[in-house]
Amino acid sequence: MIRVQPEPWATMVAHAQSTYPNECCGVMLGSIDDDNKTVEIAMNLENAYTGPQNEHYEVRPEDLLMADREARKLGMDVIGIFHSHPDCDAYFSKTDLENSCPWYSFIVLSIKKGTFDHANSWLPNEERTHAAQEPLEY
Amino acid sequence: MAKILIPTPLRQYAEKNNSVDVAAGTVGEALASLTTQFPDLRKNLFNDEGKLRSFVNVYVNDEDIRYLQKDATPVADGDTISIVPSIAGGRC
Repeated sequence: MIRVQPEPWATMVAHAQSTYPNECCGVMLGSIDDDNKTVEIAMNLENAYTGPQNEHYEVRPEDLLMADREARKLGMDVIGIFHSHPDCDAYFSKTDLENSCPWYSFIVLSIKKGTFDHANSWLPNEERTHAAQEPLEY
Repeated sequence: MAKILIPTPLRQYAEKNNSVDVAAGTVGEALASLTTQFPDLRKNLFNDEGKLRSFVNVYVNDEDIRYLQKDATPVADGDTISIVPSIAGGRC
């Protein structure tokens, strides 16, 4: 189960809506207690994809390195990555899966006509051939 | 000694350490030392051919080793080695 606190959730939705019709991305920091994850901070990142950003996103590894350092400084953990699907549902696409990392939770926000519609969280398996849906609260 | 920072999800394979100090002259030696000490980390970092998995990037301080000397990149006392995944995707 992953629970996103109100402040980071507002940050994530605002980022996804403000970058529409492009995809946004960011990293989530917080705490992990067994299988319960709590997102306390959402850090917006720049979509580094150099092609059409309305259907792709890319996180710069340097940005993730910076986020990891920030998490350590705050005594928190990097819990996962969020990104948006403009005018699509919050599924985990083949592209999402093949370019994911089995270490983290992936929250996808569906933005339709510029407005938040729904979200899901996904956990890719080790081989990145399947992603299980993770219960999400926000 | 160089310090290897362990990403949160991998700490379960490293006795919950968030960093591990290793004595090594290169990045390759440092990662070998790490995975000898914590063998369960090996499959998370390396593929069956013993190469870093495709999504795993390694940094020495602020530098990506792909742009240095890869596994042969020297490490000095006090250097920090970070393990950072590549992440991308898209709705289509």
